[in-house]
Amino acid sequence: MKRIFALVLVAVVGILLFSGIYSMEGFPRYGEAEVSERVSMSYIDKNVTRENQEVVFGVSENLETGSANIVTSIIVNYRSFDTLGEVTVLFVSALGVSLLFGSFEGRLRSRYKPNFILRTGSKVVFPLILVMGAYIFIHGHLSPGGGFPGGSMIASAILLMYLADEDFRVRIDDFKKTEGIAGAMYVLLGLVGLMISNYFLSNFLDTGTVGTLFSAGIIPVVYVLVGLKVGSELTGIITDFLKGEVE
Amino acid sequence: MIQYAGIMLILIGIYGLLTQSNIIKIIVSLNIFELGLNVFIISVGFVREGIAPILTSVNNHNGLVFVDPLPQALVLTAIVIGLGTTALGLAFARSIYRQHGTLNLDEIGGPSNG
Amino acid sequence: MVNPVLLIALPLLLAFVSIVFKAYKNNLLVFGTLLNAGLVLTLNKGQYIIGGFQPPFGINLVLDDFALTGILIINGLFLVITLMSLEKLEGFASVLLVALAGLNGLVLTGDLFNLFVFLEITAITAYILSSASKEYRYAFNYLVLGTLGSGLYLFGLIVLYAVFGTLNMADLSVKMAAVDASQLVLPSLLIFIGLAVEVKILPFNGWVKGVYSGTNSLVGPLFASVYAAGMLFVFGRIFAQVIPLGTYLRTSLVVLGALTLLAGEVAALSKTRIREILLYSSIGQSGLIAALFLSGLVFVAVMQLVNNALSKAILFTVAGQMADSTGTDEGEELQGAFLEHKIAGVGFTIAALSLIGLPLFYGFISKMNLLFGIFYSDNYWLPVVILLGTVIEGTYMVRLLVKLWTPGDEGIVSEKAFATERPLTIQSSKVMGIVVLSVVLLIGGLLPAVIQDNLTDSGSLLDEVTPAYLFDLKGGQ
Repeated sequence: MKRIFALVLVAVVGILLFSGIYSMEGFPRYGEAEVSERVSMSYIDKNVTRENQEVVFGVSENLETGSANIVTSIIVNYRSFDTLGEVTVLFVSALGVSLLFGSFEGRLRSRYKPNFILRTGSKVVFPLILVMGAYIFIHGHLSPGGGFPGGSMIASAILLMYLADEDFRVRIDDFKKTEGIAGAMYVLLGLVGLMISNYFLSNFLDTGTVGTLFSAGIIPVVYVLVGLKVGSELTGIITDFLKGEVE
Repeated sequence: MIQYAGIMLILIGIYGLLTQSNIIKIIVSLNIFELGLNVFIISVGFVREGIAPILTSVNNHNGLVFVDPLPQALVLTAIVIGLGTTALGLAFARSIYRQHGTLNLDEIGGPSNG
Repeated sequence: MVNPVLLIALPLLLAFVSIVFKAYKNNLLVFGTLLNAGLVLTLNKGQYIIGGFQPPFGINLVLDDFALTGILIINGLFLVITLMSLEKLEGFASVLLVALAGLNGLVLTGDLFNLFVFLEITAITAYILSSASKEYRYAFNYLVLGTLGSGLYLFGLIVLYAVFGTLNMADLSVKMAAVDASQLVLPSLLIFIGLAVEVKILPFNGWVKGVYSGTNSLVGPLFASVYAAGMLFVFGRIFAQVIPLGTYLRTSLVVLGALTLLAGEVAALSKTRIREILLYSSIGQSGLIAALFLSGLVFVAVMQLVNNALSKAILFTVAGQMADSTGTDEGEELQGAFLEHKIAGVGFTIAALSLIGLPLFYGFISKMNLLFGIFYSDNYWLPVVILLGTVIEGTYMVRLLVKLWTPGDEGIVSEKAFATERPLTIQSSKVMGIVVLSVVLLIGGLLPAVIQDNLTDSGSLLDEVTPAYLFDLKGGQ
């Protein structure tokens, strides 16, 4: 009975959604989005505060945001406030998880012991994953990726160690400190921007030449902070979830 | 079409939320819902024959046809937020299991989901 | 010149710092709330851009009269409630700092997607705080409904982005006003449902009962006054100023608000536990305020919102404290409780009477404005519903007050309140907070001009101005 009712309700919602969305005047058909009529066009042309001019990879200098990756320029420059909020969401949910598991001690153990291949192999892969994670968040303004994927990769390396070694523990307090300091630095960076150019989170550094590693002003700085913060936050969540109960 | 698939996933997620009483399945339904939403958001910015919005040494100037970069930035935020709520939901699930010895909401006798 | 972004950035900074210096996190919380309450008084109205990119390309904060009233209420009440219940903080100091930042961002932001981010921050802190009662299934239920709600909000806003190509509220409101309202039914409805979960409108308020009925003297007043006020301000911002609703849709949503009012008040009538009575009254008030916002009566809605927030802060503090110290909030078992605690009792009475809207108190001014406002807007059934709701509310509130002020039959049933085992105690910090809030309600009632002047022009917002009817009682004095 419950299922039939749910099915009918979902069908009604579905019909409303489909007919509602596709009967709207101006809703673009799939693949026919008019980017030129959206705010995104200015993100691509980097002309929010400047005259319209051609942006050429490896040539253009001192643009309003020097990031070759346009998505990154939105995340860390144009809509940086969202990213600060996003970091906060992750921060507060990690905080909630650690509050809920605060009374737990020890570590959960898997029913199966990790075998030799897993134990040895993971030690070989561990530093490689860490380096890859760091590479991804340092190159966030040039290639796909950035602080969030990079940080997740670092946490995944720690998770691998947890799975491969039953006695592996991280010093959770150090990670919490990293997390707090990286977050505080992000806000302070914003406040420095507020002092220098009167806008919170403004890109107050030289933006350099599009496409070089040392370019894009504060973007690499922010992404390193975000990468460290996300990495230590996710590590914290994993560690909290693996805490066992003392009977 | 991808966009229809996104909306279908949203509907499947809502159906799961309405019918399931196992906490883990509810969280999975919630994730399916969010996944569908993310697919929909991305699809809204798609431009046929548009390229990824990254300048490289090959696609090296802004005059090319890019797909809309803004939905991609929004989706990143939405994914991270979804991750946060999922982590918290799972932590609640474990606390509930510790308290009641079951993951089934019907057996606990709390208010039903949905 | 103080930039209002500090109201968001400083609590966040303190929250991050509090993780590093765990031992001082309660001090950091007190410092942060005091700092914010002080900063609010120094703000200048205007638009503040973040990152240096002009809207609609960048994100902006809009500090108009509406937002100023909102952050005044939020930061002020947050300070009073935190100071009243410092002993209940447990591990929640850092979470509360994030909540303060989130609530300020919610009211200040001028961007729809940024609003979604702050909505999630605030909601997640609420999920964590609602687990303070150790009733995790209710917290989980809230989490599921809240996440679904904000997901639908995001859905609605993406549809708007696909059509209009912008996320800025002021830009959107101009572009949407140029389109036939019937085109916008779907996104408006999705955004409405998304916010209705948090604003507690029927039938999306299934989480309220479980979460509110177990709250302590810290979480209860925070939820019922600060969070409720923040969410209602957002609701008002979006539905009175950004999204233009068609006549048909507007009427049906107003009816939904009115139904929520009636259903809440009727449900409260049959309850005996104090916190349950108050939580259904909260649902009723939310329905009323939402209906007023939807009718375009921004000014009176804000007045009623302020009245509700101030009253509920007192009511939930006292009710939470009763439950914390005696282990029950059953009206029968607490008969005559106020005879021992006269100051808290008087505060509770003032708050209850102000909520009903009796003369002498701020609630009277707001209810008068409200009824006249609706009459002048040519709506004749809504005042009838509101009056009916007020009568029901008066019935159960007065019944509750009589119970709490008079000893039970032969003093037998009132044992619990005076029992030596778990007597009702109310700390002096709470008594002081209650006195402060009651005085504000009295000043609002006797000298409405003081509060009125701070609220005036709550209707002139963003770029598009929604005309709000203004009934000035100053002339009648």
